[in-house]
Amino acid sequence: MGKIIVGIADMKVSDDPDATLITYSLGSCIGVSIYDPTVRVGGILHFMLPESKIDPQKALKNPWMFADSGIPLFFKEAYRLGAEKVRLTVKVVGGAQILDDSNFFNIGKRNYMALRKIFWANNILIRAEEIGGSVNRTLSLELSTGKVIVKTSGDGVREI
Amino acid sequence: MSLTDRILQSMDQLPPFPMVIQRAIQLIEDPRSSAQSLVDVIQFDPGITANILKLCNSAYFGLRKPVSSLREAVVMVGFDQLMEIVLSQESATFLQEPCKGYDLGQTDLWKHSVACALLSRIISKRLNRGVALTLFTAALLHDIGKMMLGQFVQDYFGQIRGLIGEKPLSFNEAEKKILGIDHAELGGRVAEKWKFPRSIILAIRYHHTPSQVSEDRDVVEMVALCDVVAMLTGIGGGADGLTYHGNGEVMKRHHLNEKDVEQFIVKLGDQFQLVDETLKSERGGEGKSWLTMS
Repeated sequence: MGKIIVGIADMKVSDDPDATLITYSLGSCIGVSIYDPTVRVGGILHFMLPESKIDPQKALKNPWMFADSGIPLFFKEAYRLGAEKVRLTVKVVGGAQILDDSNFFNIGKRNYMALRKIFWANNILIRAEEIGGSVNRTLSLELSTGKVIVKTSGDGVREI
Repeated sequence: MSLTDRILQSMDQLPPFPMVIQRAIQLIEDPRSSAQSLVDVIQFDPGITANILKLCNSAYFGLRKPVSSLREAVVMVGFDQLMEIVLSQESATFLQEPCKGYDLGQTDLWKHSVACALLSRIISKRLNRGVALTLFTAALLHDIGKMMLGQFVQDYFGQIRGLIGEKPLSFNEAEKKILGIDHAELGGRVAEKWKFPRSIILAIRYHHTPSQVSEDRDVVEMVALCDVVAMLTGIGGGADGLTYHGNGEVMKRHHLNEKDVEQFIVKLGDQFQLVDETLKSERGGEGKSWLTMS
């Protein structure tokens, strides 16, 4: 079974039924998993920050770093492989926070808010999520079944 | 024997610290040292020498004529960058070990450490400061205590986790309560044993509690900040996750805000992608060419 690794500030979509997509190291970053069960097309996006206006040049070079530049393009990539919006199952993971967070470091929360805003404007519903807390997570998506697995570091594995 | 005594005694079984790093740290502290003195230290290590030559001859530098000796290489990349390459490569020899208890795989602790070291450069630049090799070294080595404490954290993980769940304690505070010592303090003791310079010892010892230190505060605070930003990215993160205090007062003192944190993450994300690709393609190969990014 092929393992396709999605790096940090990266995205992969695939229609290979033997493939499993996986992204590691989700701290305050967010991993978005989308899957169309009819055509068995799916993908994972691993974005780091909410808004590309902090560095528009970077967003041109690597749109996957930001929620606002990455999410719309990510969905389009899945549509190109035959996925359809109405059939997509969307699951989101990550957005962790450090303790007693002053506003300096609340990127996890802002990442989640940015994602919700984009989803709301585009009528996208989240089927399942594991957001917040102070833990590191690994997210994987099995394309033959659409199974989404979250591994929380030091705390085991579960399907969402 | 108490648990804490057993932990302290485990320090006796530590392997000797890599000689090249020890000598490199001495050179950083010595104002009379030159690029030639660094060449003197590393020229007898064929592994490092080969990597440096390979790096200097890589596409990044685009040299018209390939360099064939360390002496030529030092002219091309300069003392500071050569030192950063040497430190990062040599630290991999002991940081690239799986670390039980913290649930860290083969390269995780090294990745987190390199992320911190890269951040020390990124943040120094934002604050209009020059290259600070002492800070780079401290950032790279700040978590060495985890290597020694991991086994004990594994044995008592349930209790540590339980304590964090009960009260809003940070992971290091819970380590201290359950084990009698946390990874920062243990790391500081190891650094003392290895005779590191005082500012590096303090940075390791107080990287989660920078407000407790009065001397060499700047290096300590910078390492604390680098650690928090690296933690946010999740790079090389483990079972302790983000359960640490943010020490926002460091941000205030340096007039930094949340947009700066985002900028740091953008720059780190960029540089770190190269680290990851290097690791994926050929561990240790290509002289870890990401170090040439600035």
